[in-house]
Amino acid sequence: MSGANPGAIVTVPEIAVIDEIKDEIEDVRTFYFSFENREIGRNFRVKSGQFVMCTVFGAGEFAVSLPFSPENDRPHLSVRQVGQVTRALHELRAGDKIGIRGPFGNGFPFEAIKGKNVIYVAGGIGLIPLRSSIVHVLQHRADFGRILLLYGSRSSRELMYRDMIARWRKTEGFETHFSIDRPEPGWTEHVGFVPTLVGPAAIPVKDTVAFVCGPPVMFNSVIRELLAAGLKDDAIISTLERHMKCGIGKCQHCAIGRTLVCTDGPVYTYKQIKTLGEQI
Amino acid sequence: MIVYILPKNQARALAAALAEGYELYGPVLHGISGEPLFDRIGDPDAIRLDAAIPYNPPKTVVFPQAERILSYRYDRETRQAEIVRDDLVRPKALVGLRACDLAGLLCLDRFYLGQEYVDEVYRDHRKKMFIVANTCVRPFPQCFCVCTDSGPAAREGYDVALTAVGDHYLFETGSEKGEALARRLGLKEAGPDADAVKKKTVDASIASFDAAATENKAWISRVMNRITTGFIGNDVWEYIGDQCFECGACSFVCPTCSCFNIEDLAARDGRTGRTRSWDSCSYEGYTRMAGEHNPRRPVEDRRNKRFFCKLSYSQSKKYLRPGCVGCGRCVRVCPGDIGMSNVVTYIRREITKAGAK
Repeated sequence: MSGANPGAIVTVPEIAVIDEIKDEIEDVRTFYFSFENREIGRNFRVKSGQFVMCTVFGAGEFAVSLPFSPENDRPHLSVRQVGQVTRALHELRAGDKIGIRGPFGNGFPFEAIKGKNVIYVAGGIGLIPLRSSIVHVLQHRADFGRILLLYGSRSSRELMYRDMIARWRKTEGFETHFSIDRPEPGWTEHVGFVPTLVGPAAIPVKDTVAFVCGPPVMFNSVIRELLAAGLKDDAIISTLERHMKCGIGKCQHCAIGRTLVCTDGPVYTYKQIKTLGEQI
Repeated sequence: MIVYILPKNQARALAAALAEGYELYGPVLHGISGEPLFDRIGDPDAIRLDAAIPYNPPKTVVFPQAERILSYRYDRETRQAEIVRDDLVRPKALVGLRACDLAGLLCLDRFYLGQEYVDEVYRDHRKKMFIVANTCVRPFPQCFCVCTDSGPAAREGYDVALTAVGDHYLFETGSEKGEALARRLGLKEAGPDADAVKKKTVDASIASFDAAATENKAWISRVMNRITTGFIGNDVWEYIGDQCFECGACSFVCPTCSCFNIEDLAARDGRTGRTRSWDSCSYEGYTRMAGEHNPRRPVEDRRNKRFFCKLSYSQSKKYLRPGCVGCGRCVRVCPGDIGMSNVVTYIRREITKAGAK
C-alpha cells in the first residue's frame, strides 16, 4: 500500500491553462500547462511515474501518465486521441483551460535501483510514461551503471519525442537502440519488432533493472526475452494502464485481482504482475 | 448503554422527534405495490418499523444511484472556467435499519473513509447522521445474516437499537445522542431482565432461520478460503458465468457494493454536471479502455470478480468482515440463479465432490 499523496487534488479539479501545444506524432500531442492559481502550482509535487486525472470541460475526465520530470521539465501531458474525451482535448488550443486532479499513484522506485544498470524498453507511445524516468536517471548519471534505451515503433514517423531522441542519441553514456517494424528508405538502424532489439543490444543482466512499457502484445514478448536473457522477475518494472474514474481507490474500475492500479500502482514489478491473477 | 422501554404506539413520536433536526429516512410501503422500500419520509406517520426488509438497500442515502457531485461552466470565447462543488452535508436520520444493512453501512464506512484516501463525497453524506437499528425478530425468506455474522441484531454503529417485544420496543442506546433522545422522549428504563428478554427474542429469531441459511453457516468461511486461494475450478466459474444476465441488479441491491461511474453531463443552464452513479463489475464496459482494449472479457471473468470482492480475505481486510452481509437481496433479484447463497452452495458442492474423490 502506497498511502495517499500529500497535497494531491482529490475531488474538485484545479483549473490549468494550456500554455503551448506541440504535435508529436500522428494523433499524439503534448500539452504544456500551468495552474491558474500559482499557489496550487507550487504545491503540485509530482513523483516520476505518477499520473493525473485530466478534465476536458464539457467532455469528461481521463487518467493520463505524467511524462515530465519534476526537477527538469515544465508540466505537460502527452496524449493520443483515442476516445471521446481525448479527442475533445485535441480540439483545444493554447490558452484554453483544462482541469487537473492528482497526482496519484506510487511512482518509480529510484532509491531502490541506485547503482544498478538501467534498461528502458518501450514500444510506440509506451515511451510517454517512461520519459520522466529516463530524464531523471540521465540527470543523476553518476548514481547508475550502464543506461540503455530500446525503443521502437511501427515506422520512423511514429517515434515519440523526436527532438529528445535526437539529443539522447548524442548523450554520452546512454546506449540507444531504435527499431521500426518494416524497412524504410533512409532507415539504417534495426528493423523488426521491439522484442528483437533485446538480443542485439547485448544487455547487462547482473545488477540490472528493466523498465518496460508498450502495448500488451509487445509487453509480453519483451518480458519473455528479458527473462530468457537472465533478468529476474522482480528486476522488471512496468507501469500499467486501466480504465479509471476516481484515481483514489474508490470507483474500483482499475482493479486487477486484489490490486488497484490507481493507488497500489501504476508501477509494478513483473513479479507482482504475475500474481495479480488477471490479464494485463 | 442503557435499555429503555419505547411503547409501540410511541414509534411515531420517535420518528417525529428526529424529523425536527434531520432528514428522515426509513422503511415505508410503496403506495401502489405495497412493497417495502427504504426511502425519504415526509410524514413521520408513514414509517413502518414492522415492514419486511426493504427492496432497496439503505446505502442509497449515503451513495445515491446517481448524483451530481460538482458542476462547472467553461466559456471557450472568454476562456473563463469556474468549478463549484455541490454541498452534500445534510443531517440525516436513518430509522429502522436492519442489522445486515447497518453492517453494510459500516463496510462502506471502512472502505470509503479508510484506505489511502477519504472519499469526500461519501464523508459529506455520512456526516451528522443518526442511526436507529431494528432487530429482526423473525427472518425474511431470503435472509442468511446468521451465516455472515451480521444479524439478526445489530452490535455496533447505532445511536439507538430497537427490539420489538410484545407491545413495546427495547430501546438500547449506543451513543450520547441516543441517550439525549431517550430523555427527550421521556422513556422509562427497562427492568433488570431486559438483556435476558432480548437474548431470548434474538435466539428465537435465529432458531427460525431457514435450514438452507443455517446449513451454509460453516461453509461461508470454507468458501472464503477457496476463493482467496483460487482453488475453484474454472468449470464452476463458467457455470456461474453462464447464468449471469449482466443486468447489474445484484450490485445495485447490495448494501456493500460501492463501485461507481463518473460522467460529465451537460445541463440546461449551460453548466456541466459531474455525475457519479452506481456501476457494476458485471458490465462488459466496466473495464473497457479507450481504444477498445478490454482486459476482462468473458462473463465468468467478471462474475468471478464480484464473488472475489465479497468473499476473499484481501477484500475482507478492507471491510474488517466479509463483504457479504447476508441480506439476501441478490438472491431475490437475480434473473439467473447466482445470488450469493446459491454461489456458496455451488462452490460447496465442488468442495464436497473433490473431498469424495
